[in-house]
Amino acid sequence: MATTQRAGKKQRQTEQDGLTAVAEALGFDEETLRGLYRKMVLIRLFEDAAQRTFRQGKIGGYLHVYSGQEAVATGFLAAFQEGDRAITAYRDHAHALLLGSDPKAVMAELFGRGTGLVKGKGGSMHLFDVANGLWGGYGIVGGHIPLGVGMAYAERYWGSDAVVQLYLGDGAIHNAAYHEAANLAGLWGRDGLNPTLFILENNQYGMGTSVERATAMTDLAAKFDSYAIEHEKVDGMDLVAVLACAQRVTERVRETGKPYAVEALTYRLVAHGAGDFFEKYRTKEEVRTWRERDPIGLFEQKLLAAGVADEQGLGAIRDEAKQIVDEAVRFADESPEPPLEELHTDVYADAE
Amino acid sequence: MATEIKRPSTGAIQGAFHDGTTPRTGPDSIHPPLDHVDVGAGTISATVAPPSVGDEGLPHETLREMYRLVALARAVDERMWQVNRAGRAPFAVSGQGHEAAQIGAAFALDRSKDIVLPYYRDLALSLAFGLTASDLMMSVLAKAGDPASGARQMPAHYGSARLRIVTASSPVSTQLPHATGTAYAAKLRGTGQVSLACFGEGGSSKGDFHEACNFAGIHKLPVIFFCENNRYAISVPQNLQMAIDNVADRAAGYGFPGVVVDGTDLLAVHQVVKAAADRARRGEGPTLVEAKVYRFTPHTSDDDDRTYRSPEEVKAWRARDPLALFEARLREVGALDDETLTEIKGRIKSEVNEATEAAEQAPFPDPTTFDRHVYAER
Ligand SMILES: Cc1ncc(C[n+]2csc(CCOP(=O)(O)OP(=O)(O)O)c2C)c(N)n1
Ligand SMILES: Cc1ncc(C[n+]2csc(CCOP(=O)(O)OP(=O)(O)O)c2C)c(N)n1
Ligand SMILES: [Mg+2]
Ligand SMILES: [Mg+2]
Repeated sequence: MATTQRAGKKQRQTEQDGLTAVAEALGFDEETLRGLYRKMVLIRLFEDAAQRTFRQGKIGGYLHVYSGQEAVATGFLAAFQEGDRAITAYRDHAHALLLGSDPKAVMAELFGRGTGLVKGKGGSMHLFDVANGLWGGYGIVGGHIPLGVGMAYAERYWGSDAVVQLYLGDGAIHNAAYHEAANLAGLWGRDGLNPTLFILENNQYGMGTSVERATAMTDLAAKFDSYAIEHEKVDGMDLVAVLACAQRVTERVRETGKPYAVEALTYRLVAHGAGDFFEKYRTKEEVRTWRERDPIGLFEQKLLAAGVADEQGLGAIRDEAKQIVDEAVRFADESPEPPLEELHTDVYADAE
Repeated sequence: MATEIKRPSTGAIQGAFHDGTTPRTGPDSIHPPLDHVDVGAGTISATVAPPSVGDEGLPHETLREMYRLVALARAVDERMWQVNRAGRAPFAVSGQGHEAAQIGAAFALDRSKDIVLPYYRDLALSLAFGLTASDLMMSVLAKAGDPASGARQMPAHYGSARLRIVTASSPVSTQLPHATGTAYAAKLRGTGQVSLACFGEGGSSKGDFHEACNFAGIHKLPVIFFCENNRYAISVPQNLQMAIDNVADRAAGYGFPGVVVDGTDLLAVHQVVKAAADRARRGEGPTLVEAKVYRFTPHTSDDDDRTYRSPEEVKAWRARDPLALFEARLREVGALDDETLTEIKGRIKSEVNEATEAAEQAPFPDPTTFDRHVYAER
C-alpha cells in the first residue's frame, strides 16, 4: 500500500512562515500577490451579484456560489499552466473567472442569455471554456470525476505533460463514481499515466449533511489510501498555504504522471444554493466563527502586514472589481435570449 | 445579501495547521482536527488472520457436516460442468476452489435466521443455507422446479425467499447495496439478523461496493462484506484491477475493520466470520472479510482460461485444494477415517446422481406462466 510522502517539516515550516517566504519561493512579485487578491475579491463580488440577481428572478435554474472557498481555486489555479485542464462540479463560477473567462460572458450564462459562455444553454452549473482549460461544470454529484480521470489518462496517452485539476466536494467522495474513477487513477498512475490532481474541497457539508453524518471515517484525504493515491491536507482558507501546496503538488503530478490528492479544509459562508433560506443543519454561531477565517480577510491582513498593499490600495482593487461585476450584470441584463434557431445546435459534435 | 469580507478579529493569523502554541483563529470544531498534520500515511490497515489450529474446538460432528457440504458442493459443481459439456445445459459458472471459504463463513452465521446475498460462485454457501443438489440441477437445466425463479434466472443466480437467500442479479456487485439494505431493515426491526454478502475482488472495484460500505459504516449495520478474492476477474488479474494488495485494506476508508484470511483454510475463515457476526450482533457494525482463494475452473463454461493463465499456475494452486486440505485436517484431528469418508462419498454420489436424474426428468416451465416470478405475488 502507498505511503504518503508529506511535505518535509522544513518545507511545511516555510509554508507557514507566511506570505513573504512563500512569495519568494514561488517567485511571485508584489503585483502578482495583489493580482491574486483582486481575483478573490472579484469572485466574492461576482457571487454576491449572482445571488442578488437570482432573487430578482433574473437567473433561472439553480445557483451555487463559491463565497468562502475562494482561496482554494485561486491558490490551485495559480499553479495552472497552459494546456492543463480543470474540471469541477456545479460550484464553478470561480473556476471560470480564474481561468480567464470574461465575467460578462459568465454572468450572461447565469442569466441564460445568448451571449453567455455557452450561449445560455448551460447555466450556472454547466460553465465550459475549453480555450481557457475549463472542461466543465457538472450538475450530477460525482459525475465529472470519471471524466477528469479519463482526461488525465488521455493527456499522457497522447504524450503531453498536462495536469488535470479535478475538484470534488466532501459529499461527492461517497459517490460510486468517485470510487471507480479513483481506483483507475491509482492503477494507471502506477505506469505514470494519470496526472490527476484531486482537489477535495471539504467545505464540511454536502447540502445539509455534515461530513460526520455522511461517513464513519471523516479523514477524507485518507480515503485515497484505498487506491494507493498519496495525499495531504491544506488549510483551504489560507491562500498562502494553498499557493505553496499547489505549486509543489502540481509539479509533482506533472513530473510523475501519478495522481495526488489534496484535501482543502474550507467553509461555505453562504447557503448551499441560492434558493436555500433555512439552514437547519448548522448554527449561526458556527457560521460566525468561520467568518473569522474569511479567506479574503485573512489574505488582506497578510498583505497589509507584509506591506504589499495599504488600505487605500485594497480599497481601489475592490472598487475596480465592483465595476467589473456591475458591468457584467448590465451586460447580461441587456443581452438577448438565445435565438430559437440555436435550439438544435451544440447538441451533437459536428460530423467531420 | 452581500457576503461581506471579514478580517480575523484576533491579531494572530495562521494556517489551520497550527503548532499548538498560538491560539487558532478558527473554531475548534474543525474536523478532521486541523492540527493533525501527520494524517495521510497509507498503511496496511487490514488485519491478517492467523492460520487455524487443530479442530478449533468445534464438535467433530460439525466438522464432518462441514466436510460433507464442501464435498457435496464440489460434486454438484463437477456435475454441472459435465452436463454442460454434454450439451444438456447451456451454461455453467461455479465455485471450485472457493468451497472451504464459503462453508467456513456459512457455519459462522445463524443459518436459521441470518440473511445471505450470494454471487454466482456461492454454490457451497447456498447448499449450507438449505438449497439442495436437486434444486441446483433444476436450475442449471432450466427446469420449472428451479427455486430461484422457475428457470427465469440464469444458472448460479441462487435464491430462495424461504431460506433467506437473496436472489442474485447478473450485474456485478449489486448485491452489496442490497445487503446494506437488508441489514438496515434488520436493525430497524430489531430482528438480530446478520447479512452476509459475497463478491469477487473484481466486484470491489464497482461503485456499488463503495456506497454500500459507506452507508453500512455510518449506520453501524449488521452486515459482513465477504470478498472471495480469487485473483482474477475473468481474464483480468488483480494487479490490473487495483493498485493495492488487499481489498480488505479498503475497510479503513469506511471506518470499520478489514480482515484478510486464507480462504483455503476453512476453520480460519470460520473464526474470522464468527468474530464479524458477533460484532455485527453487538451493534458494532460491519466487517470486510477478504478470503484469498483460487478459481480452479475457467471463469464460466464460455471462457478459456489458458489464454490468460498458465496450466502450471492452476496446477500449483490445485495442490492447495481446500477440499483435500480439509480432509487431511479432519483425519489429523480424528474427525474422519476411511470408513466415514467412504460412507460420506457414497452418499454424495447417489445424491448427485438422483438430483441429475430428477432434474432431467422434470418439466420445463409452462410457457403460459412466462409472466410469473417477475413481481411479488400475493
Ligand atoms: C447524484 C446526485 N445526487 C444528489 C444530488 C443533489 N445534490 C446537489 S449538490 C449536493 C451536495 C454535494 O455536496 P459536496 O460534494 O460536498 O459539494 P458542495 O455543494 O459542498 O460544494 C447534492 C446531494 C445531485 N446533484 N447528484
Ligand atoms: C456490471 C458488470 N460488469 C461486467 C460484468 C461481466 N462480468 C461477469 S463476472 C465478471 C468478473 C467478476 O470478477 P470478480 O468480482 O473477481 O469475481 P470472480 O468471477 O472472480 O469470482 C465480469 C466482469 C457484469 N456481470 N456486470
Ligand atoms: Mg461540501
Ligand atoms: Mg475474482
